[in-house]
Amino acid sequence: MESNNQHDIAQWVEQQLTLLEGPFHAGGQPQPDSVCAFARLKQRRGTRKRRGKAAALAIGGIVATWPLIALPSTREFVQRCVSACVGESGQLLGVPVFGSGSSARYLKPENRKPAADFVLSDAAGNPVKLSDLRGKVVLLNFWATWCAPCRLEIPWFVEFQKTYRDQDFAILGVSLDEAGWNAVSPYIHTRNVNYTVVTGNDEVARLYGADSLPTTLIIDRSGRVAARHVGICGKSEYESEIRKALTER
Amino acid sequence: MDAPYLDALDEPAAAPLDDPRSDLEAVFHAHYPRVFRIVARVLKDPARAEELAVEVFLKWSKAADAPAESAEGWLYRTAVRKALDEIRRQTRRSRYERLVGFLRGPAGPDELLEIREKQRRVRLILSAMDPRQAELLLLRSQGFSYQELASTLGLNPASIGSVLSRAQQKFRKEFIKRYGEQ
Repeated sequence: MESNNQHDIAQWVEQQLTLLEGPFHAGGQPQPDSVCAFARLKQRRGTRKRRGKAAALAIGGIVATWPLIALPSTREFVQRCVSACVGESGQLLGVPVFGSGSSARYLKPENRKPAADFVLSDAAGNPVKLSDLRGKVVLLNFWATWCAPCRLEIPWFVEFQKTYRDQDFAILGVSLDEAGWNAVSPYIHTRNVNYTVVTGNDEVARLYGADSLPTTLIIDRSGRVAARHVGICGKSEYESEIRKALTER
Repeated sequence: MDAPYLDALDEPAAAPLDDPRSDLEAVFHAHYPRVFRIVARVLKDPARAEELAVEVFLKWSKAADAPAESAEGWLYRTAVRKALDEIRRQTRRSRYERLVGFLRGPAGPDELLEIREKQRRVRLILSAMDPRQAELLLLRSQGFSYQELASTLGLNPASIGSVLSRAQQKFRKEFIKRYGEQ
């Protein structure tokens, strides 16, 4: 720029700042998800309130908020939480309605593809291999402690585990928290998570296209993907799919 | 979007009735998109932008001195400050990473790298400037009018024009100092 005329300077500065607009990622400018964000806000406010109640609760409060302090800021493969139920092509399928049991995305056995195998570690450091669960129906859930819709689903999964654990059924939770077990351990401990949880990485998240959280898959007894959900899609939908998969031989 | 299931997301106890911020939900839904955009424009990472935007409202809900009747000015001001704090942190971190010799970030097409480098420069200048001037420039680039700028940043509306000019000159001067004439 040659001139130092104020008008030119103003325009030039404006241009420079406009550069900040992109490119973010393939999806273009990030859009605000108010529903998801408000859930996050409520969760954080609630956590702080409880912490203030008594000195004895203070330590527990710090433990409980630790996952929230551990921010998902530097993971290369950025995940955002999704508060609605999203279809395979990215279209919105609507907010989940409790009690609805439709399962339109449950694939016929001949249309299923094998679930990509991976090995990840559980809290004790033991390797957990997906293909070792062959013969069981597996609910594979990608989640993170900072994702409010994911947290909403966890109690459902705890319940499923109680109900179906004796029927060749297993749940595998793959946490994509940046902070790893520092964030996950306190959370699964305080929420009495009764199924296997492992910490994931970008590579595994990519295998399953888990760029939005939660992403949940139902894997049949022969290790093929029977259903895939992005976002939070209703408890009874998951449950009816589990039942269907269990009746298949 | 109306979401009847949201109550279920409220894992901990709901806010009591005497909560001084009982209007939180209305204020949130009225201003969240703009607060998010202010932060998201400055940061590279939409997930981090969401987190920071939520923190703005969390801070508001706890701030006794934040006026309920004119929340927006407070919210936007806090949002732009948080975003600037974050890029200052990131600038420090990237400097450190260069120092210890591991440059991170996936390589991409040259065009993308060039844009990223340009963005990095803008962020660097903003983080090095006087914070009040950087706030002013960022909000102005978000389409804030002189009147909105004045009420958000607590400045005299009559002098906004000249304050803004000074900030723009400063930005350019800093830029030339580091990178030369463009």
